[in-house]
Amino acid sequence: MSQLQTRFFTDNKKYSVDDVPFSIPAASEVQELSNVINKLLEAKNDCLVCQCDLKRVLCVLQEDVVEIEYVERFTAPQPEECMMHDDWISSVEADSEWILTGSYDKTARIWSLEGKAVMTVAGHTDVVKDVAWVRRDGLTSLLLTASLDQTILLWEWNSERNKLKARHCCRGHAGSVDTIATDPTRTKVTGEEEEVEEPPSRPRKKQKTEQLGLTRTPLMTLSGHNEAVSSVLWLDSEEICSASWDHTIRLWDAETGSVKTTLTGSKVFNHISYSPLCRRLASGSTDRHVRLWDPRSKDGSLVLLSLTSHSGWVTAVKWAPSHEHQLVSGSLDNLVKLWDTRSCKTPLYDVSAHEDKVLCVDWTDSRLMLSGGADNKLYTYRYTACETDAGA
Amino acid sequence: MRTVNLESQKNGTMSKAKEKSAKKRVVEEDDDQLPIFDKDVTEKKAGEEDDADLSDSEESVFSGLEDSESDSHDEEEDAEEGDDEEDDDDAVILDEILTKSSGVETATEPPATDKNTPTDIRNTVGNIPMEWYQDYPHIGYNLDGKKIFKPIRNKDELDEFLDKMENPDYWRTVHDKTTASDIRLSDEQVDLVHRLQKGQFGDVNFNEYEPSVDFFTNEVMIHPVTNRPQDKRSFIPSLIEKEKVSKLVHAIKMGWIKPRKPKETTPQYYDLWAKEDPNAILGRHKMHVPAPKMRLPGHEESYNPPPEYLLTEEERMAWEQQDAEDRKLPFLPQKHSCLRAVPAFSRFIHERFERCLDLYLCPRQRKMRVNVNPEDLIPKLPKPKDLQPFPTTMSLVYIGHSSLVRSISASPTGQWLVSGSDDCTVRFWEVNTGRCMKTLEVGGAVKSVAWNPNPAVCLVAVCFESTVLLLNPGLGDRLVVSSTDQLITSYEPPEEDKEQAVTWALSEGPEHDNGHRLTLTHPKAVKQVVWHGKGDYLASVMPDNSSNLQVLIHQVSKRRTQNPFRKNKGLVQCVSFHPLRPYFFVATQRYVRVYNLIKQELTKKLMTNCKWISSMAIHPGGDNLICGSYDCRLAWFDLDLSTKPYKMLRHHKKALRGVAYHKHYPLFASGADDGSVIICHGMVYNDLLQNPLIVPVKVLKGHQITHDLGVLDVTFHPTQPWVFSSGADATIRLFT
Repeated sequence: MSQLQTRFFTDNKKYSVDDVPFSIPAASEVQELSNVINKLLEAKNDCLVCQCDLKRVLCVLQEDVVEIEYVERFTAPQPEECMMHDDWISSVEADSEWILTGSYDKTARIWSLEGKAVMTVAGHTDVVKDVAWVRRDGLTSLLLTASLDQTILLWEWNSERNKLKARHCCRGHAGSVDTIATDPTRTKVTGEEEEVEEPPSRPRKKQKTEQLGLTRTPLMTLSGHNEAVSSVLWLDSEEICSASWDHTIRLWDAETGSVKTTLTGSKVFNHISYSPLCRRLASGSTDRHVRLWDPRSKDGSLVLLSLTSHSGWVTAVKWAPSHEHQLVSGSLDNLVKLWDTRSCKTPLYDVSAHEDKVLCVDWTDSRLMLSGGADNKLYTYRYTACETDAGA
Repeated sequence: MRTVNLESQKNGTMSKAKEKSAKKRVVEEDDDQLPIFDKDVTEKKAGEEDDADLSDSEESVFSGLEDSESDSHDEEEDAEEGDDEEDDDDAVILDEILTKSSGVETATEPPATDKNTPTDIRNTVGNIPMEWYQDYPHIGYNLDGKKIFKPIRNKDELDEFLDKMENPDYWRTVHDKTTASDIRLSDEQVDLVHRLQKGQFGDVNFNEYEPSVDFFTNEVMIHPVTNRPQDKRSFIPSLIEKEKVSKLVHAIKMGWIKPRKPKETTPQYYDLWAKEDPNAILGRHKMHVPAPKMRLPGHEESYNPPPEYLLTEEERMAWEQQDAEDRKLPFLPQKHSCLRAVPAFSRFIHERFERCLDLYLCPRQRKMRVNVNPEDLIPKLPKPKDLQPFPTTMSLVYIGHSSLVRSISASPTGQWLVSGSDDCTVRFWEVNTGRCMKTLEVGGAVKSVAWNPNPAVCLVAVCFESTVLLLNPGLGDRLVVSSTDQLITSYEPPEEDKEQAVTWALSEGPEHDNGHRLTLTHPKAVKQVVWHGKGDYLASVMPDNSSNLQVLIHQVSKRRTQNPFRKNKGLVQCVSFHPLRPYFFVATQRYVRVYNLIKQELTKKLMTNCKWISSMAIHPGGDNLICGSYDCRLAWFDLDLSTKPYKMLRHHKKALRGVAYHKHYPLFASGADDGSVIICHGMVYNDLLQNPLIVPVKVLKGHQITHDLGVLDVTFHPTQPWVFSSGADATIRLFT
């Protein structure tokens, strides 16, 4: 059996091995390579038990030494809970304690992380399209729901007494409000709507509301998109990013309301997500690709990476809050895929729990993945690096 | 002078004295008689040759001549006797001849005439046709004025024959018609005739070779012929000539007269082929096709062929069984011991005939076969991947209907989709999730749905059975929804109520809550509803072959209905409004008629060449139109170009059910019973000289074929390059 000169390296100092070439069988599989590295690590530090995964193979032919980068291995996402809804789940947002979901039955629901239904937020007259947590002061939380009935409702919820109170109704959209986002300082909210206006430029609006008074009107309208805006988010407290069906992603200055950068794609954008860790923007579009963008780049339309594996529209993308390389995407092909941006050809894991279209995904700080879809089920998955698992 | 002899020949009975005097007179009249003489000679000859049967005309001329002479003789008989002495010789000769002849005649002629007037029997009637005397006993008058009687008995054929046989002088006997008597020519006369026949002179003694004496000699004399002194004018230059010369000199100086062109010495030939096209000549030579060559004989033709060329018994049987055309050899090879034993070639004529046929049927013209690469004939079309974007994959399936979905329509914003099905429901879908937002039960299988294209109005027209229903789905902007309701309720009925073909009814109560707004009850089943681009007018189609009430145009804001057509031009399949101009398209089974609604006249009639049109769509620019037909064809019309299809596309295997144009992208789609949707790139250029570019780019499959029906309707998303198709499998599919 032919042997291959390999050299192992990793970014993680904790698991580094000596920089010497090893000769291994050429037909080695991932599992065998993992065993080799684990053995090396054991020899160096025999109290550490670890599992590594072969992520990327670089062939350096002229040296005849194959350099293999290895990274810490994550276990497959473990399904934890399945929360049944009455209707399709349009959106989900979770924080460290509670999960907030919006549903097509015109309500939003609050769940505990363990999957217990805590509260049903009913007030909209039409489908709830998006939900967002705003702020939490102890037991009192502020939450937002956006609906097809062109309003955004701001609710105040006391978790201890389980009391819900509608505080404000934000009006101003001339179409269904499909997406909202709260800024990092938790004081402002952006709503997104789908609307058609007749003027040739066909501007779209985005609104920002200050939380005062009973009925809110937009602080600012960001006009520029000429088709429906599908997703908005705050990059930081000064910058807003929006994705639209007119094939563009625009970056707006939140103070002046003017367009700073336009990223132009070739297909309709369904959803975008931004990771402050790697400063990348991920977009899910109708051509089945997840694309990574650098919002800071000046030339505007540079796609850094395309993650191609889905066979349907990518309806939701979400960066991992604690890992700069991982993101999760949901698609109309009923799959939720977990990606590592270092391996763009294939996803890390395919989660095929859903029986129908996946409409939303989310990720909590506590490494809990959530996905909801048209099969009325909200799934939560425990997804952690193996070291924490190993401790258990 | 010699002419006289002739007359005398015939007048054998003339007396000598008279004859003599006559001759003299004749001499005097010589000049006058000369032309007649010539004639006479010929006549004479003729007369001689045709002795046996003299024709009347010849006779008459002959006799007339004689008469005239005799006349002249008569007149001058007395006065000029013995006058001329110069002509004595001639006269003597003639006399001799005549005397001889008369002598002979007296012997041969019948005596009756001889007795009375032995000298002269002359008819004085002149040169007249003797037939004039047919009915009289006489034939004229003699010199004395006495009648000359016809002989009692005419000579008949028999007499003539006997005469000919028996009379040795028959050959020299001539018949004189004027006197009805036969004359025997004397020897002299015969001799004269012979001489004349030979072209000799009549006079025997005339010497035609007498030595001649010239008056002027050809030798140059030393003395002039005349001795007259020369005129003065022969010494002085002529003024007239001088004038002429000066004129010529002047003309030459002025250049009026040009010197003669030098004669070309080279011979000039007419170029016969000058006008012929040189290429044609070349072509003719090129086109020369030689006659097919005969094959050279081979071994099998030999009289003693090698044994392998001889046919075996089975081969011979097979050869005989075969048709003549199928035979490899046209003959049977045969072996003969020696060349002598070879029989004659029995098929020689046959073979020659076939050779002639070969030559006759051989091609006279060479066919220039052009070597064309078949790929060059395919028009250069751009590759589909260069024509992005267009729908390529199925993205969403809208499931909910329980029966075939007849018709779909997208909202102007592109957020909603409405579909009508045979399960008597109308469903509203959210486009980007495939969520059914609303389901409305109506009272029958929905044939057609149409979303109002005006974004400021939220209305959906639905037709089922004989009802057209205007629905307000309540989707989209609340303001638009409420303003639409306001628009409908704000209607005030006009003062005088006109009778309309359709009853308009406002929905109330639970129906109103469901979204029903207006109900238009038609007299007949409605097949299609279509909105005008502005969203106020609505056309409905009630196919009916027997009435003119097939198409109705409704105005929603005034709740008015009118029937635009007086005449029934055939079963209306579908109608459509022009997107920009006030035109109205009506598709009947085979034709599409374009009407101008303002002028109320027929503008165009498009011949589709289809058997049965199923659907029609107008390009948003308004100058192009596509027609789908049940005979699997899609016709693209360029209205500016022609009334015939610009292109016929036959990509579908089965009947087309729906066609659609995209509003912004250069795309059109067609759905057919084979379950496929074909997307074509149809670029229309602003440049009028450039024809539309049509490239089929994608076949989209997904619908299952149910009850032999596949795709029933297609429609494009108003803004994105997406296409919706509804099928008989109760689903709607979105291709992106």
